[in-house]
Amino acid sequence: MSTAEALQPGLRRAWGWYAHLRGGGTTAWAAWTAEAEPSGPYLPGAQQLELLRRLNEAGHPGPRLADRVLTASAPGRGRPDLPLAGTAEQRFGPRPVDPAEVPAEELVRVASSLLAEDTVAAGVPARPGPGRRLPWRTRYRLLGDPWLTEPIREELAARGRPSGDRGAPVLVLGTDVASMVVDVWTARSFSTGAPSWPEWLAGVAERRRPPRRADLVRTARRWADEVGRDRVRIVFDPAALPRLVGVRRGSLPAPPPVSADATDLARRVGAVLGVLVAPERRVELLRHGLLPRVAAVPGPALTMPSDLMPWATEYAGRVRETLVADGYPVVGDPDVLLPRPRAGVEGPRDDAVLALALRLLLEDGNGRTG
Amino acid sequence: MTKRVLLHVGTPKTGTSYLQDVLFRNRPVLAEHGILYPAERFDEHFLAALDLMRLPWGGLEVQAVGAWDRLAATVREHDGTAIVSHEILATASRSQADRALRSLGHGSGTEVHLVLSVRDLVRQIPAEWQENLKHRSMLSYATFLEQIRDPAREGRIATWFWGVQEVPEILERWGHDLPPERIHLVTVPPPGGPRDELWQRFSRAFGLDDVALDLEVERVNPSLGVPETALIRRINRAVNGELDSSTYRPLVRELLAHQTLSRRTRSPRLALPPDVHPWARDLQTAWVEEIRARGYDVVGDLDDLTGPPPPERFADPDRPAPRQVANAAVDAIKALLVENARLVTAEQAVRDELDEAYRALERSYLRPTYRWREKTVRRLQEGALGTRLLETYRRARGRSSESA
Repeated sequence: MSTAEALQPGLRRAWGWYAHLRGGGTTAWAAWTAEAEPSGPYLPGAQQLELLRRLNEAGHPGPRLADRVLTASAPGRGRPDLPLAGTAEQRFGPRPVDPAEVPAEELVRVASSLLAEDTVAAGVPARPGPGRRLPWRTRYRLLGDPWLTEPIREELAARGRPSGDRGAPVLVLGTDVASMVVDVWTARSFSTGAPSWPEWLAGVAERRRPPRRADLVRTARRWADEVGRDRVRIVFDPAALPRLVGVRRGSLPAPPPVSADATDLARRVGAVLGVLVAPERRVELLRHGLLPRVAAVPGPALTMPSDLMPWATEYAGRVRETLVADGYPVVGDPDVLLPRPRAGVEGPRDDAVLALALRLLLEDGNGRTG
Repeated sequence: MTKRVLLHVGTPKTGTSYLQDVLFRNRPVLAEHGILYPAERFDEHFLAALDLMRLPWGGLEVQAVGAWDRLAATVREHDGTAIVSHEILATASRSQADRALRSLGHGSGTEVHLVLSVRDLVRQIPAEWQENLKHRSMLSYATFLEQIRDPAREGRIATWFWGVQEVPEILERWGHDLPPERIHLVTVPPPGGPRDELWQRFSRAFGLDDVALDLEVERVNPSLGVPETALIRRINRAVNGELDSSTYRPLVRELLAHQTLSRRTRSPRLALPPDVHPWARDLQTAWVEEIRARGYDVVGDLDDLTGPPPPERFADPDRPAPRQVANAAVDAIKALLVENARLVTAEQAVRDELDEAYRALERSYLRPTYRWREKTVRRLQEGALGTRLLETYRRARGRSSESA
């Protein structure tokens, strides 16, 4: 920022607002009038300034977090740092905006970058690794709904009963089709990454098929070729699972309930983690670092939008018929596949995702170490 | 401590691939002149840029973890001139640019120079649309033009386009803390001039006139004609749900677009529609006025940015001549068949090698000593004493032989 520009009244007002926010102020840009000299090499964008204002409204971010927000960039592709409306004549660059009108999604973009840094810094709590393989263990390979099966596989591996012995009987765990579509998106959001929920659903609607990992017929047929049809079981009753994997004592874990908004925030944080850490570490940080934190925050679950329910019902009927016709042993009632109305929201809400991001940033800024 | 860093931040479609390939292949010669081009692999600066900007790129970003800091550390350790170049840096935010400049030594005694190569918008706009298609886009030319002309600039296409092409804004983001004499604009000459004119300008901007460089390169980013571009768009529509990035890149972008369709140079060239021409020219004029007023060092001529006049006959890539697209498609099929034949041969060779390895393995299993050892291990594993004996044996060997 050159001195000549800094002398313009609009810019002096912007630097005044910058100082106000940095000191913990909450006044909106439109209501701000006081001026100040520049106190940095450049004026942050409207997204950074507004994010700090929202943090100030939500709590006490402290000077370190305030400075991190003001120097953060929105990661990935998307809108660039936006200039403040009413600061100076803008001949080039993006159109200036009133920060109050910056969409919540853009504020979340900036916040996700900071949360990814915090997630890396916090690391993951120590947990037991894979246990010594028990020679008398029941051999099995557990597949199906990834959100349901992954914690079970991890727990059993820790108990010395890992999934995946060569030639072992295959257990395909399924639930209702609508939940499995939600579950695959959730599992990917907390691991390797996923497109936004609307984009994800658009892909399902276009293909008229669920994502690969929720496709029980495909999974069953693939493994029937490998181990034989009579050794592939379709499991719709999770209560039967301990017996099938040879566990007599103790129950098997279920994934923690996680809200639609928390999942979307994890998806965005995960995208940044993909550039900060190796892929295996990203999954570990999301599953064992971020997930317990966001699962502790209540919020509505994600459900399939009503306009896709007729397809899910029709598809579930076809899957049920195909599995029966193919002749796999089935544990539980195949009618479980039929979608049922569930309480929740049909998609993440940007304002709620932002509120959660602010909460986590403030927790981190106030000394939570994960 | 590096005394001078030349930081080339764009723009795309200005001969940057050629420049970077020359620099990469001539690293030893450059080093003899005290010039560092810090790269162990060709795309090292690209990965560093992804890391700096936290930019996912079809899975390539996993290779970019920590790449910027490593690059900057190498530059700081060098005592002489260093060159860093990648065109996507053009889209960096002010805070990212600020971090990059400081990590390269700006403010700590190093003389950082910013280099920006620029070309007229009349040629840049169709080139950027084409580049989008080579990255799986299915957008029509008309929609692309509509999106970049929308003053709101809210979509992904528009934000990226202006982020890497709006020259005054890029220079403001990157150069706000540098004196104008350390900001160098290399203009791309208009079509029809001497072929090496652009290289001469790069050479002058980077101070390479006295270095005997090998200018034969392997990597260029060639452009496609109208029917070829239309074909790629149709291919994208067909394969986007089928091919992931790791297969799309070598097959569609490299094999079809770069190695096959770009050789069809007699087809109509992509151009700006005549009705969009005045808008682009007016914008470009405003940019040139601004750049002149800022007093940067210009290598070339700002009048180069005026751009060519509208073509006499505009070939619309949204309505290409079917016969031309069919001819391009035949060339594409031929290239895929040739590549497929190569892969079939390679696969057979691998199968033969694998079969031979299996046969060798079977022969070793049939040896009496192997069968005797296998039987012994099995018997030992049946009892507690035997298991302990085996464990002792394995510890004594110093490694696990469980997998043997």
